[in-house]
Amino acid sequence: MTEATRLQTPDDLAALRARVVERRSAKKVCVSICAGTGCRAQGSMELLAEFGRQLESAGLDDVELRATGCHGFCERGPLVVIHPRKIFYHSVQMKHVADIIDKTIQHDEVLPALLFRDPKTKQRCEVEGEVPFYAKQQRIVFRHNGIIDPTDIEDYVGADGYVALAKVLAGMTPEQVCDEVEASGLRGRGGGGFPTGKKWQICRNQPGETKYVICNGDEGDPGAFMDRSIMEGDPHAVLEGMTIGAYAIGASKGYLYVRGEYPLAVANLNVAIEQAKTRGLLGDDIFGSGFNFTVEIVRGAGAFVCGEETGLIASIEGDIGTPRQRPPYPAESGLWGKPTNINNVETWTNVPVILERGASWFASIGTEGSKGTKVFSLVGKVNNTGLVEVPMGATLREIVFDIGGGIQKKRKFKAVQTGGPSGGCIPESLLDLPVDFDKLREVGAMMGSGGLIVMDERTCMVDVAKYFLGFLVGESCGRCAPCREGVFQMHRILSRIVEGEGREGDLETLEKLGNYVKASSLCQLGGTAPNPVLSTLRYFRHEYEAHIKEKKCRAGICKELVQFRIDPETCTGCTLCRRDCPTEAITGAKKEPHRIDAAQCIKCGVCYDVCNFGAVEVE
Amino acid sequence: MSRMGVFICWCGANIAETVDCEEVARYARDLPGVYIAQSYKYMCSDPGQRIITDAIQEHQLTSVVVASCSPRMHEPTFRKTAATVGLNPYMLEMANIREHCSWVHTDRRDATEKAKDLVRLLVEKVKRNQPLYEIEMPVTQRVMVIGAGIAGIQAALDVAAAGHEVVLVERKPSIGGFMSMLDETFPTLDCSQCILTPRMVEIMQNDKITLRSNAEVEQVNGYVGNFGVKIRQKARSVDLDKCTGCGDCWNNCMAQNRIHEPEREPECSVASPEIAAKVDAIAAKYADEPGGMVVGALQDIQEEFNYLRQDALTYLSRRISVPLSRLFAVARFYGAFSLTPRGRHIIRVCLGTACHLRGGGSIADTISRELGIGDGETTPDEMFTLERVNCLGACALAPLVTIDGRYHGKMTIAKMIHLIEQCQESGDTVAV
Ligand SMILES: Cc1cc2nc3c(=O)[nH]c(=O)nc-3n(C[C@H](O)[C@H](O)[C@H](O)COP(=O)(O)O)c2cc1C
Repeated sequence: MTEATRLQTPDDLAALRARVVERRSAKKVCVSICAGTGCRAQGSMELLAEFGRQLESAGLDDVELRATGCHGFCERGPLVVIHPRKIFYHSVQMKHVADIIDKTIQHDEVLPALLFRDPKTKQRCEVEGEVPFYAKQQRIVFRHNGIIDPTDIEDYVGADGYVALAKVLAGMTPEQVCDEVEASGLRGRGGGGFPTGKKWQICRNQPGETKYVICNGDEGDPGAFMDRSIMEGDPHAVLEGMTIGAYAIGASKGYLYVRGEYPLAVANLNVAIEQAKTRGLLGDDIFGSGFNFTVEIVRGAGAFVCGEETGLIASIEGDIGTPRQRPPYPAESGLWGKPTNINNVETWTNVPVILERGASWFASIGTEGSKGTKVFSLVGKVNNTGLVEVPMGATLREIVFDIGGGIQKKRKFKAVQTGGPSGGCIPESLLDLPVDFDKLREVGAMMGSGGLIVMDERTCMVDVAKYFLGFLVGESCGRCAPCREGVFQMHRILSRIVEGEGREGDLETLEKLGNYVKASSLCQLGGTAPNPVLSTLRYFRHEYEAHIKEKKCRAGICKELVQFRIDPETCTGCTLCRRDCPTEAITGAKKEPHRIDAAQCIKCGVCYDVCNFGAVEVE
Repeated sequence: MSRMGVFICWCGANIAETVDCEEVARYARDLPGVYIAQSYKYMCSDPGQRIITDAIQEHQLTSVVVASCSPRMHEPTFRKTAATVGLNPYMLEMANIREHCSWVHTDRRDATEKAKDLVRLLVEKVKRNQPLYEIEMPVTQRVMVIGAGIAGIQAALDVAAAGHEVVLVERKPSIGGFMSMLDETFPTLDCSQCILTPRMVEIMQNDKITLRSNAEVEQVNGYVGNFGVKIRQKARSVDLDKCTGCGDCWNNCMAQNRIHEPEREPECSVASPEIAAKVDAIAAKYADEPGGMVVGALQDIQEEFNYLRQDALTYLSRRISVPLSRLFAVARFYGAFSLTPRGRHIIRVCLGTACHLRGGGSIADTISRELGIGDGETTPDEMFTLERVNCLGACALAPLVTIDGRYHGKMTIAKMIHLIEQCQESGDTVAV
C-alpha cells in the first residue's frame, strides 16, 4: 500500500468507511466461511478453496468469498453464511459446495438439509439469529466475530472500526477517557474483576515518562478459548482498545502476550499490526494528534503461571516466568520497572464500544456490580460446545440448557465448573444463579476467564478435583512453599482416594491444607488452587465418602474402583462395544448378550459410552 | 510406651495474646503418648524450668516437648534443664509457636489451630527420637586437605589460620585447579586470577601448611580423629647416578616445559557455520529488544532445529551475551521447550478440561500403550514424540489430538490406533 492510504484525520477514516460500505452493498452475494480454529480443523480452509475453484469455473466472479473469524458455534463447523439473506449452513462438507453454488447462489433456493434444526420445535432455522444457540446471546465483544474478515482492515473500518479511537484522539483528554471507562463499570475479564477505569487512573497518576500497556492473551485456563477467538477473529478491536488505553495512561509502547499454542492468533494479529501501521493507526502522530503508539507481539511458551501479571512481565523480560510479591503492583512498577497497565484481551475488546456508544449505554447492561456481557466457553458434556456471550446476570440454566442445548446423550446434569483451575463446581441446586463476578464468588466458584465446563452423571467429582490439582502441581512455579508443597500433598491425597486407598480423616486434612495454601501462597495460582477441591467437598462430599468408605466410583471413572458389566437382559448383541473395545475384552456373538472379561478390561469406559441401549453398567 | 510431657509457654503476651495456650495444652493432653500437658507464663524462668523438672521426676516422663520460642533461643536451656533430672537431653524437642506462629499471625482462632498442629508434629517427632550420648575421643589435631583447587586452598588456609597443621595434597604438579583455567567467575564476573593467585602464594608462605603436589592419595583408613593416609609422591628430580638417559621420563613428564593447550570444547557445543548463520538471523530479529527476547529466540531456534540443540544454545548465549545457564533455566521452565531431539511426527494430546472430561486421558494412554512412550518421549526409531498439553483451545473438537499441527478432533481410541498405524505405514502425516 502507498503512503496515500494513510489516514491523517478522522475525516479520512469516515471517507474510507463510506467507500467500503458502498462497495460492500454493491456486492450482492457473499459466501462467508468461518476460518476460526474450530472450523479450520473441520476442513473450512479446503472448503474455501473449493468454493473459489467452483465459483471461478462457473464464471461467478462477482460473488465475494470471505474468510471470517469464529462464530462460536464450533460444535457444528464448518459454518457457511450466504449473504445477503444470511442463510446459515452448518456442518458443510466438500460435497455440498456444488449444490450451494447451484441452488442457493444462482437460484436463491435454501438447502434445508444444511440448516440447523431446533431439536425442541423441530423447525429449520434459516438465519443465525433463529438458532437457539444464538437467540439468547447478546454480542458486544463478539460484535465483529464471524462477520468481518480479520485479515482485512477495510472490513473492520466498514464495521465502524477505529471510530472510537478517532473520537478519543480528536476530542477527549486522557482523564476523560479514564473517567468514561470507570463510569461504564467495566471490570477486568482476566479473572480478578478489578475495575478497569480505576486501574488506568492508578497507572496514569504514576510519575515517569515511560509507561507500558500489555494485553494478556495467555489464556491458560484449560477449557477456555474466547480470547483466542477474539484475537483470531477481530484483532483490530484488540489493537484499537490498547491504543485508546495507551492514550489514557500515557504509554507509547504496548505488548501483546499471546499463548504459544495459538499460531493463527499470532498470524492474524501480525497482519493487523502491519495494516494498522500502513494506515497510520499505529505508529507516530496517530490521526494528527501527536500521540504515538506501537505494539509488539510476544509469544508464550507453555507456562500457565505466565498468565499471572507479574509472571507475564518476567516472561516478556526474557526471564523464567515466576510471579513476585505484590505490591508493588504493575501499575506502579511493572515491565522494566516502569508503570505498566495490563488487561485481558476481552477487557481491551470492550473498550472501543464503550467509548463509541458511551458509558451509560454499557452500564445499562448487566447486573448491579458487573456491567456488560461476558463470553463463556461452554464445553464439556453439553450438546452445543462453543463460545457464548450473554449479559452479566444470565442464569446458568439459560446458558447450559437454552443456549447449550442441554446435556449430551440425554444424560443427567451434575455440575458446572467455572473459573478453570482457580474456580469451583456449582451443583444443580444453584442452576438459577445469575452469573456475575460477585455471585459466583459467593458460592465458592469464580468467574475466572470464563470457562464454563458442564459435567454429567458420568463425571466423577473427585477425579475432576484431582485433574485440576494435577494441572496445578505441574504448573506451580515452585517459588513459594505453600503452593509447591501444599498443592502437591493435596494431590497426593486425592490420588490415593481415587485409587481406593482413601482413609478416614483425609477429607478433613484436605480442607485444612486447602485453607493453609489459600491463605499463604505468594500469588493467586496457589491462592486459588484449593478451590476445585474445597468447592467439590462443599457440594459433593458424598462422592468423596463413597470413594473412601465404600470404595466405589459411581460415575465409573476411577479405574481402581470400577467394574463394568453388561446386563444380559438389556444387551441386544449389536456388537458395537465389542468392535470398539481396545483390548478385545468383550466377547459375544451377534444378537446375543455380550460379556466383559474382567481380566482383560482396562476400564476405559468405551463400551459404556458407545452403548445405545444403556446395557453397560457400572457396578 | 512413651510418657511424654508437653509444656506450653505464653512468653508473657508474646504467645498468649494470639494463641490460646490453655486450649493447646488441653489439645496436647489428648494426643496419643502424651501423659501430661501444661502451660505457664514463662517456661524459661526458674519456676518454669522447675515445672518441667518436677514433672519429669513425678511422672517419670520419657520425653518432653516444649512449645515456646525458636530453638535457636532456648533449646540449650531446656535440654540442660532436662538433663539435671536425668532425662536424656535429646529426648526433648521444641515446637516454635512464637516466631512461626504468634508473631506472624493475627487471627487468634487460626493461630491456635496452627499451634496445635506444630505441637502435634513435634510430639510425633519426639516419639521417634532415641537417646543420644556425648562421648570424648582423643583426636590428632592435624588436617589433611585432598585436592588443591580453590576450595581446597581456602580450606587449608582457614584451618591453618585456626592454628592447626595442614597437609595439602594435589595430584597435579601445580595447585589452583579449574579456577586457574577460568577468566571470570560467576555471577559477578570478577577476575579469576586476581582471586586465585594470591591464595596460591599464601599456601607456600604459610608455615603450618605442608604442600604435597604431584602426589596422589593411595589409601585411607582409620576414622574421625585417627586417620591414616598413604600418599604416593611422584618423582620430582633425577638421581644422576642411576639415570641411563632412556628419555621415558622426558616423554611422560606431566609438566613438560611447553605452552599449555586449552582443552578443546566438546564437539557437540561447537556450532557449525550453517547453524551459526541461522542463529545469527534469529538473534538479529530480537536485537532491538531490551531483554533480548530470550523466550522468543528460543522458540525460533526450536522451530528451526526441532529441539533446542546445545550447539545452537551455546552459540546464542555468546551472541546475545546471556549466560548459557540462564538460557537453560528458561528452557527448563517453559513447557514448550525440548532439550532432546523430537521425532519426525509430534503427537500432541490435549488434556484441557473439556478433553479430560470427554476421555482425552484414555487417548493419551492408548498412544503410550501403542508406541511404548510416555509424555515428552520419543520412539527409538525417532518417528513419534508424544506431548500431553494443557489445552489447545479448540474444545468443540474434544477429545483432540494434533499430529504435526494438524487437528484430529472427536478422537476415539479406535480412531487413534488406526491413525497411528496409518502414519507408521505411510511414514507421513495422515490427513483427516
Ligand atoms: C495463575 C494465574 C493465571 C492467570 N492467567 C490469566 C490468563 O490466562 N489470561 C488473563 O487475561 N489473565 C490471567 N490472570 C489474571 C492476570 O494476573 C491479570 O489479573 C489480568 O490479566 C488483568 O487483566 P484484567 O484486569 O483485564 O482482568 C491469571 C492470574 C493468575 C493468578
